[in-house]
This record gives sequence, structure tokens and C-alpha cells, in this order.
Amino acid sequence: MMSSALVIILACGAVNYFLRIVPFIFSVGDNIPAYLKRFLDYMPVAALGALILPGIITSFPANPAAGIAGAAAAALTAWIAGGLILPVFASIGTAWIVLQYLSF
Amino acid sequence: MKTEDRENSLNDFIAGARSAIPIFIGYFTTSVAFGILALSSGLTPFEAVLFSMTNLTGAAQFMAINLISSGAVIGEIVVSVFLMNLRYFIMSASLARKLGLKNNIDKAVISFGVTDEVFSVASLKSGAVSDSFMYGLQLTAWTGWAAGTLAGVTMGSFLPRTLQDAMSGALFALFAALLVPEIKKGYRALFLSVSAGVLNTMLYYMWHISAGWSIVISMLAVTAAGAALFRNEESSVEQGVEEAG
Repeated sequence: MMSSALVIILACGAVNYFLRIVPFIFSVGDNIPAYLKRFLDYMPVAALGALILPGIITSFPANPAAGIAGAAAAALTAWIAGGLILPVFASIGTAWIVLQYLSF
Repeated sequence: MKTEDRENSLNDFIAGARSAIPIFIGYFTTSVAFGILALSSGLTPFEAVLFSMTNLTGAAQFMAINLISSGAVIGEIVVSVFLMNLRYFIMSASLARKLGLKNNIDKAVISFGVTDEVFSVASLKSGAVSDSFMYGLQLTAWTGWAAGTLAGVTMGSFLPRTLQDAMSGALFALFAALLVPEIKKGYRALFLSVSAGVLNTMLYYMWHISAGWSIVISMLAVTAAGAALFRNEESSVEQGVEEAG
């Protein structure tokens, strides 16, 4: 007898795999229209925008400033230094400082 | 000829693994937070690690453990995860086009490892992307996600509470750091990402559409409008890709 959490985890895994594998099996041909090509090319940046907002506000329900300051620190670090490692650590450090010393 | 092919495959695998090092660290950090939060949501350590190994998805896993702890039924959770991750369908379609895999086993394995960050790295890489590059990239990313959860459930209770709290924003920092290089290349990325973010915020707060649905609607609406609005290639984007490559 599986626990209900285990059933949920495996069901979510099946859903995620389904979404990922179907386009590989029924692949889109090379002669796709220019509009659809642009559509697929623009998707990542639109996705990132929608994933960031309002996620950074809701990630710290008790203190939204921590999420905003953390993401701003990550963006600034990425702009100056590039990469992903430093920005992530900068954001954790900044969020930690805000949570420690600044409460609204 | 055969030896040369094997060498090329190995080189591509290593190149893929190397370009996944930042993803590994970002995933590991975020996944430590997932391990900690999963335990506090009532999952066992085994369930938490299994979740990361079988699902390999960021925001949806956090959403799922939230729903589990709030007593939601399986149907709600599965539908929310499906909606939040509809983007994988579109990302996989784009990647399948770029990779052009012939082998069914490659398709079955590589499709499993499609994530936002893996998609970004593979689709922004100039020129052809080989299956070996994908294996190196995805195995490194998957290991970071699975190992992070394992580390999280192992050391969870020993971390100071304040540091645990600060980690819940790490995922969004990762998204922001991925977006910045795109914005540097041209104004279109800034326009598209800000529009999607503003629309998503409006849908979520003003019309109270669920987080999963509003992300899907925002992505589709903004991308559809952007693809219709920007008809010519943006020269600065191509220059940026060449510089990066």
C-alpha cells in the first residue's frame, strides 16, 4: 500500500514526463512558419518574466522586500559579473540580511 | 573514423557538463531548500528525494509540497502541476526541432531532462547541439537537483532557521540571473519579459487566476503578441549570440 504522498509524487512525475516527451515523439517538421519560429524563440524570455513576477513578491509572504531585494541583487550581480553562481549567492545573502535586520 | 566520433562525443559530453556547472550550483542550492521545506510539509526524506529524482522541476515541486501540506487532494495537485508545467511542452517542441534526434532511446532520456535552465542553455547555444552535449548538460543538472534534495533532508534541521528562510527566494534569483544576459542583447527580451511579468501579476492579483494558469496565459499571450509585433530579426541578438559563442 503506497502512501498518498507517494501516489501524488509519481502522478506528478508522469504528468511532467508526458509534457516533455510528447513533442519529441510527434516532432514538428523543419518547414515551420516564421511566425511559429519566432513564437518558440521568444518563449523563454516571456516565461522567465512570468516566473519572476509576481513570484518574487509571494516567495516571502511575511516580508516581500526580501524577495525583491534578493532578485535585484541577483540581477545586478548577473549584469556586472555574469554567470549564475554568484547571483544566486548574492540573492541568498541579501534576502538573509533583509530578513534579519529589516522588517516592515 | 569511429574513434574520432567517440572522441567528439566525449568532448561534447564534457562541454555539456561544464556549461551545466552554474545550473548544478543553482539547482543544488535551491534543492537544499526544497529538501528542508519538503520535510516541514510532512514528506519523508525518501519521498522528498524521490520527488526530485522523478520530477526534476523547480517551482512546481515547491507548489506541490505547499498544496500537500495544506491538505489538497491529488486531482488539484496534478492539474496545477500540469498547468504550471505546460511550458515544458512548448520548450520540448522547440528543443526537438533544434536537436533533431533520430534515436528513440535518446528521445526518451533527453526529453525527461528538459527544464527551464537546460532549455535556455541548449536553445541559446549557437550552432548544432549534439545528443552527447545534452547528456552532459542534463546529467549534471539532474545530479545537482537530486543531490541538493538529499543534502537538504540530511542536514535540514541543523541549519539556522533564518538561513532556511532566506533560501526560498533562490529559485527566483536563478530566473533573474538567466534573464539578464538576454536583456543585455536587446530591447525585445526586456519588453517581452516585463510584459509577461506585469500581465501575470495582474491576472494573479486582479482576477485571482491560479498561479499555474496565469503563468501559462501570460507566456502565451505575450509571446503571441511579440511574434506578431517583431517581424524582422533583431541584429543585436545575433551579435550577442556570436559573442557568447
